[in-house]
Amino acid sequence: MKKRLLTIALAGAMCLGLAACGSNSSSGSDEKKELTYSGTVLGENTDLKADITVFNHRTDLDSDDYNGTTWKEYLAAFNKDYPNIHVTITTDTNYADDALTHLQSGDYETVMMIPAINKSDLSSYFMPFDTLDNMKKEINYADTWEYDGEVYGVPSTATTQGIVYNKKVFEKAGITDLPKTPEDFIADLQKIKDNTDAIPLYTNYAAGWTMGAWDAYISGNATGDPTYLNQKFVHTKNPFSDPGDDTHAYNVYKILYDAVSKGLTEDDYTTTDWEGCKGMINNGKIGCMVLGSWAYPQMEAAGKNGDDIGYMPFPMTVDGKQYATAGADYSWGINNSVSDEVKQAALIFVKWMTDKSGFSYNEDGLPVSKTDDRTKLSFDGVDFVTDEPALKGEEDYLNEMNSESELNFNNGGNEKVQAIVEHASKGDESFDDIMKEWNQKWSDAQAANGIDVKY
Amino acid sequence: MDSTVKVKSYKYKKHYNPEQVVFGFIKYLVLCLFGFIAVLPIISCIITAFKTNAEYQTTNVMTPPKSWLNFSNFIDAFTKANMGRAFLNSLIVMIVVLVVSVIIGSQLAFVLNRFKFPGNGLIRNLFFFASLLPSVATQVTVYSIMSSLGFINHLYGYIVMMCGTDVISIYLFIQYMENIPVSLDESAIMDGASYWKIYWKIILPLLKPAIVTSCILKGVSVYNEYYCANLYLQTPDVKTLAVSLYTFVGPKGSQYNLICAGVIISFIPALIVFILFQNQIYSGIAAGAVKG
Amino acid sequence: MTEKKTFSQWITSRRVQQVLICIGFTVIPLVLLLIFTYIPFGKMVQFSFFKMTYLTPPQARRFVGWQNYIDVFRRKDCFGALKLSLYYMVGAIVQLFLALLLATMLSFKTKGGNFFKGLMFFPYMISGIAIGFIFKFFYTRGFVLDTVLQWCGFNLKDLPYWLKDQRINNWSLVFTSVWRYFGQNMVLFIGAIMSVDSELYEAASLDGANKWEQFRYIILPSIKTIVTLNVILSITGSLSSFEQPYVITNGANGTGTYFVIMNRIAHTSQKVGLASAMAVVLLMIIIICTILQKLFFKYIFRDADSDDESYKAKKARLRAEKAAIKANKARLSQTKGGIA
Repeated sequence: MKKRLLTIALAGAMCLGLAACGSNSSSGSDEKKELTYSGTVLGENTDLKADITVFNHRTDLDSDDYNGTTWKEYLAAFNKDYPNIHVTITTDTNYADDALTHLQSGDYETVMMIPAINKSDLSSYFMPFDTLDNMKKEINYADTWEYDGEVYGVPSTATTQGIVYNKKVFEKAGITDLPKTPEDFIADLQKIKDNTDAIPLYTNYAAGWTMGAWDAYISGNATGDPTYLNQKFVHTKNPFSDPGDDTHAYNVYKILYDAVSKGLTEDDYTTTDWEGCKGMINNGKIGCMVLGSWAYPQMEAAGKNGDDIGYMPFPMTVDGKQYATAGADYSWGINNSVSDEVKQAALIFVKWMTDKSGFSYNEDGLPVSKTDDRTKLSFDGVDFVTDEPALKGEEDYLNEMNSESELNFNNGGNEKVQAIVEHASKGDESFDDIMKEWNQKWSDAQAANGIDVKY
Repeated sequence: MDSTVKVKSYKYKKHYNPEQVVFGFIKYLVLCLFGFIAVLPIISCIITAFKTNAEYQTTNVMTPPKSWLNFSNFIDAFTKANMGRAFLNSLIVMIVVLVVSVIIGSQLAFVLNRFKFPGNGLIRNLFFFASLLPSVATQVTVYSIMSSLGFINHLYGYIVMMCGTDVISIYLFIQYMENIPVSLDESAIMDGASYWKIYWKIILPLLKPAIVTSCILKGVSVYNEYYCANLYLQTPDVKTLAVSLYTFVGPKGSQYNLICAGVIISFIPALIVFILFQNQIYSGIAAGAVKG
Repeated sequence: MTEKKTFSQWITSRRVQQVLICIGFTVIPLVLLLIFTYIPFGKMVQFSFFKMTYLTPPQARRFVGWQNYIDVFRRKDCFGALKLSLYYMVGAIVQLFLALLLATMLSFKTKGGNFFKGLMFFPYMISGIAIGFIFKFFYTRGFVLDTVLQWCGFNLKDLPYWLKDQRINNWSLVFTSVWRYFGQNMVLFIGAIMSVDSELYEAASLDGANKWEQFRYIILPSIKTIVTLNVILSITGSLSSFEQPYVITNGANGTGTYFVIMNRIAHTSQKVGLASAMAVVLLMIIIICTILQKLFFKYIFRDADSDDESYKAKKARLRAEKAAIKANKARLSQTKGGIA
């Protein structure tokens, strides 16, 4: 909670620094037209000599114990192609906050994962990779860090929203086809409970943010509509009512309520252990968990049975089709205040990471590069949906609605999801009543913010 | 003879034994019970801190570890949470805050106690009212002030803030000052000493018991403070021990055996200080309570 | 503090010296007090009349009058959270009682007394963060507490879920608070008890007074003031209880005290105006309590004074009796000698 506050304050402070940095960078970028992502060809310029520093959040890749490819191995492979580019990678557990502090200090790494800053501030810290049109030919999710037609970030990988599960447990429970609707899913959880010793669905209630993770499923997964979250949601009247076709937010959270009220979750939700759950799902003590695909490799790496871990689409079908929200993970950005050679080396590094390293594939992500479209997420028959940005002039609407209604979707609103678990467990409030409350809060917030109801 | 022995033992028992024995028995039973309750949560933590991952996952939490020499969790926790640096930061913060707050607190108390001037009562009331304000409540707005002063993510900013919120020790000093006879000052003035000198040469040395008490009370709270520290000290270089423990224990935490090791490391300095200065701490606490 | 030089050259009169020292010694604490207490407090009061987030620029803040205050009283999650303070008040009373009991025990000669004292006091020195984790671990199903209770013959099935069951989870948190502070209270009481004239105990025990009588007539009167003070302090403390729920459950599952809720409204939902209003309301309540306490305390104090007199009278009586006891003792030893 407090960290968000800091982030915001820092972002605010950065705005102040914009004027000074801005002039600096624009005068520089005029003559560097040739420094573009599309103009950088891997395999060329291999004797380029430069030192670059890279800052990111993947501390786990620092460790030799990591089950996948480590930073050391990536760098060794990179230096085979580019022996004279010396790369130093530093990682940080508290990346989101510390990266902002690095930026604010003005002394930051050559390449770093872009933290949560305003898009209008991008050009004060990072160099543009290329125009949006050019980038769209090179990578997916090109508009993630786009501002004024220029792209400032290349996604390191992309994630989607589904369910991480233990294949062996599902098999043992007698589940042959993966569930496609909430009813199927609940029935399958029941099978796990009846036929195995595993906890069918682990809520991770205690960690809090893992509960807020349920919010990620109400957009693409539940509607199939890329404009729903950022354009329609705030204008919708009673978005938490049951549409009657097993879709939309109502039925997303209902899965949680039903699972808890039917005893298909862990015994004592108040003392769940986030770090411990990884090992538990790995060795078959947990059936499944509702977490983004970023969690998939972590569960695989947490024990000897990585092969048992699978990732399946969210059990929701909209008009006969399953959808999954997909979006960029952290994106690489390049420092705009370094020399041209270093920038060139950084461009090479980012492009190499994207096109040649297999990073996104290794980390179980969706493909970013247009030339390397491998992925382990076998979501056959599932359409990926990427949320479109808010309409011009409405960028702040969702934030305002979140704050006013105190529901805080995708914004740390963990308590409301935790409350679902509590009420389901205690049986003191029906799910419909909870949703009615949410609708009321939403309507009140719409009235308070003067947002018109269109849908 | 038979009867006299009986009488003797009867008398003896009546006068000392039954009550004494029963009371003694109950007393030690109660003490053991509460001692056990006090120490149980800590013991469980110590047990777990010595277990390997596999051991932790397969054994009950109260089962002793296979080896009491398995320090790998401690080493891991120490390096992972960057505790060496954090210790240093905590130490710096504590020393500076204690020195500064003792000096400014006793100076203020000196002035308030020794001089009648317009505003004396007002200042006392200001401090009294401030003691009623729960600090968690005002952090909402303190943050913006800290930010505009450029105090965020700097040890000095946090230190200044910690010095500023001290009200208890000022109370304590005023309390003690009242027991230092004014005649001492007066005779010093006769000898031509300045007030400045009186403060340093007479008052401050005589305040020693109050200073010890204030340092203990404040030292414990500063060393353990995490709410503000977590708000204002975010970069790795400035984290105090409590914050580094928090990043470790926090929602994305770590394995329990590792966290237990971290927890133990964090209170080892407190334990050492406690063992060394037990009696001073007790009397300090007792003295601090008489503030009223 | 730099006045020293100027002062020695420039000042001759004691009056000016006084003024200088007054200013020099008060300015730093006052500036700090202003910056970190009064300006934030003023701003908080101001914010409480606006609808705003942290980032709302001043011109875009909307003045809403008393609306935030009305909301504080209307919303059941705000004002209703004060009900949880009752748990903490009960806990505080239990804590004082236990502290008193153990302090009394330890103030008599006890083997290993210092050891027990140390065990019970040490939790006070541990940081809240560490305590938060220790007790999460302690209360987890099948972990520390459950294991120990199973040793005592309980069946795991009959044991409640310490943090999940909303009927008892607040007690679990209160227990944590008692665990942490009762040793500190105990040390405090021992200090007070030790300040009692040891003659009194000797006299009383020789008088044949039993332990209860010793407690009732000697110990209790002597520490009445400090006990009352602590009872009173614990009431305001309970109103603003924050740490235990914040670090152990983060206020989830019906354990959100007033401050935890306020913290959440301020930081997650960024309703700075409402959170400020909540803080102001609580402050008002605390001020009222403090005033009542002062009055109450005055009353008690007068009472304690009169008690003191009777206590002195008692002392005199005991003194008088001491002489008699001595005589008695002499007689007793004579008898003993006689028997031997």
